Parts: sequence; structure tokens; C-alpha cells
Amino acid sequence: MADLGRAALVTAFLLLVYALVAGSLAAWQKRRRLAESAQNALLAAFGATLVASAVLLAALARHDFSFQYVADHTSHELPLGYTLTAFWGGQEGSLLLWLLVLTGYSVAAVLTGRRAGREVLAWVVPTLGLVGTFFAMLLVFVASPFATQATAADGAGLNPSLQNPYMAIHPPMLYLGYVGLTVPFAFAMGALLARRTDERWIVATRRWTLAAWAFLGVGQLLGAHWAYVEIGWGGFYAWDPVENAALMPWLAATAFLHSVMIQEKRGMLKVWNVLLVVLAFCLSIFGTFLTRSGIIQSIHSFTQSSIGPWFLGFICLITAASLSLIFVRLPLLRSKTRLESLVSREATFLYNNLLLVALALTILWGVVYPILSQAVTGQAATVSKPYYNFFLHTFGLPLLLLMGIGPLVAWRRASLRALGRTFLWPLGAALIAGFALLLAGAGSSRIGVIAYTFSVFVLASIALEFARGTAARKALGGVGWAGAFSSLVARNRRRYGGYVVHASIVLLAIGVTGASAYQTVREARLKPGQSMSVAGDRLVFRGYETKAESNHRAIRALVDVYRGNDYLGRYKPGKNQYFAEDQVSNEVSIRHDWLTGGDLFLIADQVNANGSIDLKALQKPLVNLLWLAGIVFIGGSLIALWPDAREARRLAERYADGAVRI
Amino acid sequence: MPGQRSPVRLIVALSIAGVLAVFLLYTSIAGGGTPALRPSQLTGHTGRVSLMGQVVGKPSGDAHGAGLRFQLRDVKGNATVPVVYKGSVPDLFRTGRDVVVDGHLRNGAFVAVPDTLVTKCPSKYSPKR
Repeated sequence: MADLGRAALVTAFLLLVYALVAGSLAAWQKRRRLAESAQNALLAAFGATLVASAVLLAALARHDFSFQYVADHTSHELPLGYTLTAFWGGQEGSLLLWLLVLTGYSVAAVLTGRRAGREVLAWVVPTLGLVGTFFAMLLVFVASPFATQATAADGAGLNPSLQNPYMAIHPPMLYLGYVGLTVPFAFAMGALLARRTDERWIVATRRWTLAAWAFLGVGQLLGAHWAYVEIGWGGFYAWDPVENAALMPWLAATAFLHSVMIQEKRGMLKVWNVLLVVLAFCLSIFGTFLTRSGIIQSIHSFTQSSIGPWFLGFICLITAASLSLIFVRLPLLRSKTRLESLVSREATFLYNNLLLVALALTILWGVVYPILSQAVTGQAATVSKPYYNFFLHTFGLPLLLLMGIGPLVAWRRASLRALGRTFLWPLGAALIAGFALLLAGAGSSRIGVIAYTFSVFVLASIALEFARGTAARKALGGVGWAGAFSSLVARNRRRYGGYVVHASIVLLAIGVTGASAYQTVREARLKPGQSMSVAGDRLVFRGYETKAESNHRAIRALVDVYRGNDYLGRYKPGKNQYFAEDQVSNEVSIRHDWLTGGDLFLIADQVNANGSIDLKALQKPLVNLLWLAGIVFIGGSLIALWPDAREARRLAERYADGAVRI
Repeated sequence: MPGQRSPVRLIVALSIAGVLAVFLLYTSIAGGGTPALRPSQLTGHTGRVSLMGQVVGKPSGDAHGAGLRFQLRDVKGNATVPVVYKGSVPDLFRTGRDVVVDGHLRNGAFVAVPDTLVTKCPSKYSPKR
């Protein structure tokens, strides 16, 4: 079986090398037959990778401990679901999943990307082949998932903190995002190589970027939720290098999604757009490098393995090659039009881009700071939360505000009088909300008040946009309010989907602010019968209960929660002691208040031998808006992504000069 | 169009300048990060540092009382330093694990900042053989 897997990977590798070499040759000499054969090699590579993945999956399902990978990441007691998701629980499997997603995406991109034009597509194939070759090479020569050993009696098991539904879904989501960024990158490179630098490659990859970006966003939120419910320190994001590794490409992709609209509408920012797509792609590879090389100290230290230098080399190659390509093609990337006014929709997009990139780069600086300081002063130094929080506030709050301003500003040139009129309502709402917050005592955190005031402003401006659009549609006649609303969204999916995503970001900001700026933390050592209080709730510790499960022993503290005289229920924070892995895991207990959106978060910090407990309790107001934001985010992304026959017809007409067919 | 420069460039240049200014201002006020040291490098540092080492010997004491006491040794080396720590102890903390903790060196002992202990499990995704 392992031989079959190995053979499949070697086949995939050879096919991808062929796609790279033959594809380049074909595009260079404009040989159509050869280009088709390179394309077919890319499709076949997906099939070969699929076979390899099936072999690994089958080995996992059969508990075949002659596979080193299976023995290292699963055990007999591990439930079947987690046994299968151990596919991406380790390095080799993760790389295989990466290649699978990449080749899968390549197939779909090649089959649907004809709108970009034949010349562009001919170069897209070898670019995808290059990235695929790199991963296949790692899998064949450096980190094979099909290494065998003398069959072990039992495996080492999966880390207990990974035995969680979120961990089953969070990594593939991130991969779908990370890897998805390869597609717009490949089309950008294809467009440059083919000298077709009009906006076609952007139109052809818009949905790809959007989908990759949405996956990356959802993946991160799932990771944050996992950290929140599973790791049990009461937070959801710690500015850890590995978390930042996913955030940076997401920020770059967010900037890209916005700036491409300017190129589509006004033919500007062409250089900026290709730079952004290169940045996003390089950051996604850099993220893998970070997590896989162990070069930066992180709480998520994955295997420190030999693949680090390979990744570094690949990043250098990609960066150097794409930057020199952009440089060579600079004359083709001239803007057709220019920015007419500093107060226009284009300008706000530009400000948003600069802020997003600044945020991404300052995070990057923080991440590589230990390496840089080591190189310069000989002494490694790290930056911590205050650094990141400072820059999140400095760049994030203006970004939040821009989300409210941008949609209200006209394209090309906005008159200040018109602006005053449109801003009246959102501004009024924001000011009223700001004063109300101060009266309600939210002034304890200045950042909090600013963030909430801005949030109200943005929500009001989004509501206004929907209201005005609906009213205008209804004025056309023949429909009621509901009909006008749905036809408004259906006819402008991208725009209104975008607004829904904006609303989700506002919810996110509200949740993050509530959970960080306004949280209350209390700790106490309690004997059975004793109580503590946290922000209005009284917690009474009643003692412990223990239960033996198949692979662990569960100790739970019994905590009764009262608010005033009302009994709110019994909550059971505790610890699990896993046998096979010889490890303890913290099991927090969370009381969700669906009415206020807040959480009471209980941690059994220390279980003492004398029967007492060190209980940590956190009140986190509005934190559930963070998770609600995730759902709204998915909804908004889906609206923007949903196929639109009308749009497709419009594009087909616009590009009906023969380049659409291959 | 000679003589007319695109305002895009002006904005980009100004923002880069702005970002750099904010950045320099921040680093000059907040300093250039916390030094990351091994136990053998501690001597002479009195400010806040981030210490990384391997837990050796049996930890004793109460992290929520007088403080948890343990020894940290260079991951590759022999220098050790006693550490006193208060606050939450991560699940993975135990003898033999690599940890990172912030604090100050006081009279030959490392006094940790509460709740800064982080375990670095070198084998989180690839169990020990």
C-alpha cells in the first residue's frame, strides 16, 4: 500500500514537472497542442494526488501502524473521526493536503479560467506547475507521508487539544484559503508573462480570490473559537507568530480585493495590484515556512524539520522572479486614468489599501523581529502584545471608520456639500451612541468608546446604503419593499455582499472590543461551599466529581452561578487526564448569555489536593458577536460569490473578441 | 502629462512617511522589544527579559500561593537558574518541557511576571519517538 502511495506521489511530481517545463515551452513558442498536453498533465497530477491521499486515508482508517505517519498521529482508542482527520494532524499529511488542494484548484482554475484569454492561460499552467512541483518535491524527497516501519502495536495518539471538532475543520479551511491565493497569483503572473495586462485576469480570478479570502477568514475565526473553548486561557487571539501567519495574507488579500475594483472601474493601480497579489501569495508561503521551520519561537511549535530551508529558498525564488517580471513589464502597467480628487471612492479605497498593507507589514516586522535583532545586535529580542495592539489600534480604527465613509463617497470626485448631506445620519447616530456610551460608563476604555462610536457610524452608513438602494428600486415601481430589497441585492451581489461583509467586520470589532477592553477577570482559591463574585455574578464552589472515560479521566469542579437571587445553573470547569498521551488538558466551562451576547468563562486553574480549587472567572461582554460575525461573514461572502447570470452575460459581451475560447 | 504628478504617488509617499513616523515614535517610546535569553545569558540583565529554557528537577510550591518554584536550564547547555512563578500554569508544563517565561533577575533568582508562562512543546504535532 505504501508503495502505491509513493508511486502516486512520484507520478504527480513528474506530471507537475512536465506541466511546468512543457507548459513554459508551449506558452513561449505559442504551441497550442503542447499547451493542451501540459494542461492535461496538470489535470492528471490531481488524479495522482487523489490516489496518494486515498492511500493515506485508507491506512489511517485501517490503523495500519506500519505507516510511520499513522503510528505517530493516531492510536487504537482514538475515535474514527479524529483518526481520519489526523490526515492533516502532522507535517507530511498537511503537505499532502496542500498538494491535493493545489492540484484540485488548478484543475478548476484551468477549466473555468478561459475568460482570462488563451495566452494568459497558457502561462497560468506552468506557474501552477511550478508551485505544485515544489510541494510534490517536498513530499517525494524530503517529507514523505508513506515512510514505513516495523508495525507498532499501538500508535502514539493524537494530541488531546486537537481532539476537537474545530481542529478537524480549521486546518483544511486555512489550506483552502492559503492555497487558493495561488490561483490569482498564477493568473497575475500569466497575464504579465503573456503581456495581457488589462483587467481580464482580475475578472477571471475575482471569485477565486474572494473564495480563498473567505476560507482564510473563516479558518481563522474557527481557530480563534477553538482557542477560546479548548485552550482555556480565556482569549481567542494571542498574536502568536503562527496566528499572525494566517492573518497577514488575509490582510493583503483584503487589500487586493478592494484595489482590483479600482482597476476594473478606472484602470488604475495596475502595478499595485500585481504587487499585492505577489505579497499575498508570498505571505501565505511564508506562513507555512513559519509554522514548519520552527525558526520563530511560537506556542504552536510544530515539528522542527528539515523543510524550512526549502521553503525559504522557494520564497526567495518566487519573490525575485515575480518582482523582476513586474519590473520588466512596468511599461505595460501604466494607468489609463488618474486619481482626480483626494475625496473620492478611489481615494478611500487607496487609503484602505495603505492601512491594510501597513498593518500587515507591521505585523510581519513583529514576527521577524527576533531574527532581525539577532542578526543585527547578536541578541534576539521579541515584541509582544502591546506592540501588536498598538498597531491594531493605530491602523485598525481608521480602517473601521473608512468602512463607513467609503460607500458614501462618490467615484471620481465627491462634492463636499453632497458628502455633508449623506453623512448627516450616520454621523448623528455615531455621536448619539458615543454620548450614550460615555453616560453608561463605557469611558473606562477610551479605545473602546472610539471603536464603538465608529462601529455605529459604519452600521448606520451601511443601513443607509441599503435603505436608499431599496427606495430607489421601489421607485421604479411594480414591487413592494421586500421585493425591492431582494432585487436590489440580487442585481448587485458584489456590492451588497460586500456591505454584509463590512457589517460582519463591525460585529467582529464590537465583539473583540467587548471581550478585551471591557472584560472583568477575578481569581480566587475556594474551598467547597465558598464563593466569589465577578461583575455581578456570584459563583459557589460545591466540590468535585470525577468520571472515567475510555481514554481519559475527567475531573470537574461543580460551580453554581447566581445573579442576585436567581440561580443561573451549574457549570463544570475541570481537567482531563489523558492516559496514552500522558497529558492534562484544561476543560473550561462557558455560560453564554444569549440576551446580552456576553460570556461567563470559568477556568479550573488549579485542582488542589486538599479539595480546594483555584478558580478563574472572566466576564466577557458581547464576545458572542465575534462568532455571529463569522456567520454574517460567510453569508456576505456567499452573496458576493453567488454566480450571477446577468453579470456573466455582461462580461461575455465585453470580452467577445475571441479571446474567451481556447 | 509632464509637470503633473499623480496624487496617488503623493498619497503613497506621505503614508509611507506617516507609517514610518508612527513606527519610530512607537519604538523610541516602547523600546525595541524584550530580549529573549537563555539561562546562561542572564547575568548582567536587570530589566524585563523573556527567558527560555528546559524545566529540570521537580517543580515545587503553589503557583496560586507563595509561588511555583522550578529550575530552568539551557536547552543545549548546563547553566541553570531558579525561577519563582505565580499565576496560571499551562497544561503541558512539567519536568523536561521547554518553556518561555517573562521576568526579572533578582539576587540570582528569576522572578517571573504573573501569567506569562508558556510551554513550548517541541513535539506537539509529532509525538516523541
